[in-house]
Amino acid sequence: MSFDFGSLGAISVISLNFMVPIALTAIGEIFAEKAGVVNIGLEGIMLVGAFFAILVAWNTGNPYMGLLGGVATGLGFGALHAVISVWLKGDQIISGVGLNLFAIGFVPFATFAIWNVSGVFPPVSFSFGRIAEISTPWAPLSYFVPISVGVSILFWYLLKRTRWGYQVRATGENPEAADAVGIDVEKTRIIAVLIGSALAGLAGAYLSIDVVGQVTKDISAGRGFIALATVVFAGWNPLVGLVGALVFGYSQGAATWFAGVPALRDVIPHADYLLSAIPYIATLVVVAIAIGRRNAPKALGVAYKRE
Amino acid sequence: MKAAIPSGASGILSSLAESVFAAGVGFLASGILLAVLGKDPIKAFYYLFEGSFGNVTNITITLAYASPLILTALTFAIGVRAGLFNIGAEGTFYVGAAAAVAASFVHLPFGLGLLLILIAAGAAGAAWSVPAYLLKSYRGVHEVISTIMMNNIALFAMQFVVLDYLLDPTRSDKSSSIPIDARFPVLISPNLSYAIFFAILVCLGVYYYLWQTPGGYELRAVGLNPDASKFSGVNPRKPMLYAFLLGGITAGLGGAVEVAGTFTPFAIYTGLSNLVNFGFNGLAVALIGRNHPLACVVAGVFFGALQAGASSVQILGISFEIVEVVEGMIVFAVAAPQLYHMVRSRMK
Amino acid sequence: MQSLAEEALRTAAISKTYPDGTQALRGIDFRLAKGEVHGLLGENGAGKTTLSKILSGILRPTSGEIFIRGQKAEARHPKEALKLGVGMVHQHFTLVRDFTAFENILLGTRVNPKGSGAARARQEILDLSKQVGLSVHLDTKIEDLALGAQQRVEILKMLYRKVDVLILDEPTSSLTATETTELFKAIRKLKEEGKSAIFITHKLNEVLEICDQITVLRHGEVSGRTEASKADRKMLARMMVGRDVVFDLVRGPSRPAEPILEVKDLMVKGNRGEEAVKGISFEVRKGEIFGVAGVEGNGQTELEEALCGIRKPSRGTIRLAGADITTLNTGQIRKHSVGLIPEDRRQMGLVLDMTVAENSILGREWEVRFRGRGVALAWVKIRAHASRLIKSFEILVKGPDSPAKSMSGGNQQKVVVSRELADEPDFVMAAQPTRGLDVGATDYIRRLLLKTRDSGKAVLLLSADLDEVLQLSDVIGVMYEGKLIEVGPAEQMTRHRVGLLMGGVRE
Repeated sequence: MSFDFGSLGAISVISLNFMVPIALTAIGEIFAEKAGVVNIGLEGIMLVGAFFAILVAWNTGNPYMGLLGGVATGLGFGALHAVISVWLKGDQIISGVGLNLFAIGFVPFATFAIWNVSGVFPPVSFSFGRIAEISTPWAPLSYFVPISVGVSILFWYLLKRTRWGYQVRATGENPEAADAVGIDVEKTRIIAVLIGSALAGLAGAYLSIDVVGQVTKDISAGRGFIALATVVFAGWNPLVGLVGALVFGYSQGAATWFAGVPALRDVIPHADYLLSAIPYIATLVVVAIAIGRRNAPKALGVAYKRE
Repeated sequence: MKAAIPSGASGILSSLAESVFAAGVGFLASGILLAVLGKDPIKAFYYLFEGSFGNVTNITITLAYASPLILTALTFAIGVRAGLFNIGAEGTFYVGAAAAVAASFVHLPFGLGLLLILIAAGAAGAAWSVPAYLLKSYRGVHEVISTIMMNNIALFAMQFVVLDYLLDPTRSDKSSSIPIDARFPVLISPNLSYAIFFAILVCLGVYYYLWQTPGGYELRAVGLNPDASKFSGVNPRKPMLYAFLLGGITAGLGGAVEVAGTFTPFAIYTGLSNLVNFGFNGLAVALIGRNHPLACVVAGVFFGALQAGASSVQILGISFEIVEVVEGMIVFAVAAPQLYHMVRSRMK
Repeated sequence: MQSLAEEALRTAAISKTYPDGTQALRGIDFRLAKGEVHGLLGENGAGKTTLSKILSGILRPTSGEIFIRGQKAEARHPKEALKLGVGMVHQHFTLVRDFTAFENILLGTRVNPKGSGAARARQEILDLSKQVGLSVHLDTKIEDLALGAQQRVEILKMLYRKVDVLILDEPTSSLTATETTELFKAIRKLKEEGKSAIFITHKLNEVLEICDQITVLRHGEVSGRTEASKADRKMLARMMVGRDVVFDLVRGPSRPAEPILEVKDLMVKGNRGEEAVKGISFEVRKGEIFGVAGVEGNGQTELEEALCGIRKPSRGTIRLAGADITTLNTGQIRKHSVGLIPEDRRQMGLVLDMTVAENSILGREWEVRFRGRGVALAWVKIRAHASRLIKSFEILVKGPDSPAKSMSGGNQQKVVVSRELADEPDFVMAAQPTRGLDVGATDYIRRLLLKTRDSGKAVLLLSADLDEVLQLSDVIGVMYEGKLIEVGPAEQMTRHRVGLLMGGVRE
């Protein structure tokens, strides 16, 4: 296999498909962080979302119900995070760690408890009556790619152009100011967390139903954290977030493509392992180049207590 | 000893109560989850504790699991003391274990082999922590992002290293084993080695550094208020570097303890399956141990017991990962101390 | 006579006990007439802020009732208070810095700044601002507006919401003399329109100038009520403090010796890259207090940070006892026998979660006198050191093991001051050393600075409190927009002159 225009097309389609989960999660997190709540449990929500999507799709035989299951999972765990970090004024980071730890354990635990198999279900990748796809000369492109673009534009519009967007941003920048003019800070934050988590749950469902066709205990593979990095890289702008997700999508797409080049295995055995590390290295490099936390909401990560 | 702990002495009891409460919430929530999935929670928890404390052998298994956990807990605890959220113990643990196996290829007499293993693992762990420090200090990259990325990189890089450099010539599923004379000497049964004492010793050392030396004082001061520390003349980068390095060393040593001081085959399985989650579990240990190096010993034994007992629970059709489920629930409760205060004031 | 005027707002026996048991208010009866400016006077901790927060719906009273225009009212939220026509302008403005003035004014209303009603709202705001004489650049971001302009945005925000009762919490604390005059003009205009205002302050001159009625609070109780026209400073001060206040600290003649701090052509950049200190030169001599007066935000903080080595100057030199310290960091500067009292004691001076003992060695942790064997810290020696400080500086605290955060502001400041002065440094920099402290602690710290000067040491005092600068300084400089626009011996710098200079006005 040599590198030519066809390969580039193939890499691009793979990359665009890989962009989706990071884009959805990052855009949702941008929204939540704009309201002042950080959620490092996105990785866990994605993972559990992927699991419940399979559970629902498997039992209903309907992939769209599976996607809804993912969204509902996101809402559920988002509610937990919101209760702890907004209502109980707990530590947002620790709560997120709890989400991740729980997810790491829950998915294999529940997979075993429900289907009596360890780590992977269904054991062989299953086609859930695939979600509609756009055909291209190289590989099918998921409808989720244009959906992600739409979501990014929608959230940009919501944040920058609507009255509610102003309220969300005020809540994350200066909750005292928002409170003083009658904006319900807690309610705004809870809704923002729910929206962000729902998108992460959807991203997980997309992975398990549309991409892999099964749920594995490491299906999220750090994408939740890459999405967090994307948020910083994007300077909290949903449109730039899409671009950031594309960069990471390409790093993964390229890694996947190169792993399929047989010549490489002859030079370095097990090189595919090293290639798998590329998206994470790319994340570090990109975040390091992006300038600091320039646009971070000023009240990010701080619970609001009216004295 | 009272003079040695100027701060927080009065808060110890309430911290203890909060930790116990959090553990209770964790078990309660997991019990409900088990019941929902059709498992008997009472039976499950009975098997869990029977498997961890039921007899001497089980206790030795508990303590063996605790040894590396205590060390990975220190990574997070030291970080928090310096105001950092260092969750890089997971990847650093892999790196330390790989370094330990690699160092065991050099054969040295009189237990010097073990010394070399520990030095190699500590040094490798420290080195693996440097990128996160540099990114934080010079580029403002939050350590949660950088350390998690380093974890994922370590996951793949160390699998590669095991497969290509450390593989057991006679088997394809694990690295070479560390020779007997380079392991921690056995203490009681074959399960428990002197590694547990080593882990406790490291905790004491970290405690001494944090509370009894000027450097440790600066580290804590920067963690509590970087602005005041800066105004007092401390360059915050120095304590930050030390916190990352120390955290790397302890996680690296944790990896060495896992492969040279716990169970057969004293090697690394190719999928790192005997290494995964020790770093993340250490995080839960530190949180329950309130990021105090000495309390981490107690919390480490508690989580070691969970891990030891988890194998017994498997008879009930419950997988090993119930440990992380319980841990996750406990961490939720730790995240919201107000929950404890609310429940307490209701009960009054 | 009072009862004749229509009532705007009245409280009956308002009390407030905080969850931690602090009794902030005890049975406050307060009455505000329509078209009246009512001064609420009191020291820090007297309960002024608590009362205003209750009136504006931020806090709920433990007991007591509020009547608005004669109707019993219960506002559980600022939003409800606003609906009832009561709005508050906080001392620390509640504005979103990242939004424009226009966006801030519309925040929380039904109008979307980017939507269809925006043009009409803009016109309404412009009309309002003309009506009361408060001009504001509506499309400038708050972070680019001066503090005075930010306050005008806050007031317009309230007026746009059609409030009748405007609560102003310490409104002049960050204003220049000119801005204060303008604010007073606007308040008078509002009065003509039939609006009422509650003017919270501890400044006696202002309350006498702008208010019709005055209520004085002390320890959560009303300690006096009077018509402004019948009051004078002495009487109000007595009501505030509960005893006769001596307004003048005795300052003996100074014996200035050779200069110890020499600053030449210093330029320092602020956080946003602007020139915050624009080329200033001065020297401080041994045996004198050099006072820098000025409204906050005119470069004092940047000057302070440059002198302490936290902020690197972009130009110029700083010499201390002959040595060039311009490029040194804080740790190196601290080796030069200096005492540095930061303006923000809670953020810069103390580690609040540490004990008094631990705080007493902050910045001195490597000194041999606090060591035991080897590298170890000797906590026995450190606690003894802290106990000595507690005793000789009259710090009110249980003991060296008490956490700093459990102490009152005055005692926290004493911990900082004791640590910085205990070793009798040759040069002391004190930034806003008494800000927010009660009368007793303020007096104590001012005397201490005078004592330091009398023992032949040099003191650089940076203070926004004009009285403090006038009371303590032998030489006075005034900072305005990053420049030291005037320096002169205290005898030539009258209150009137310094006050005008602080607003950038030269006679």
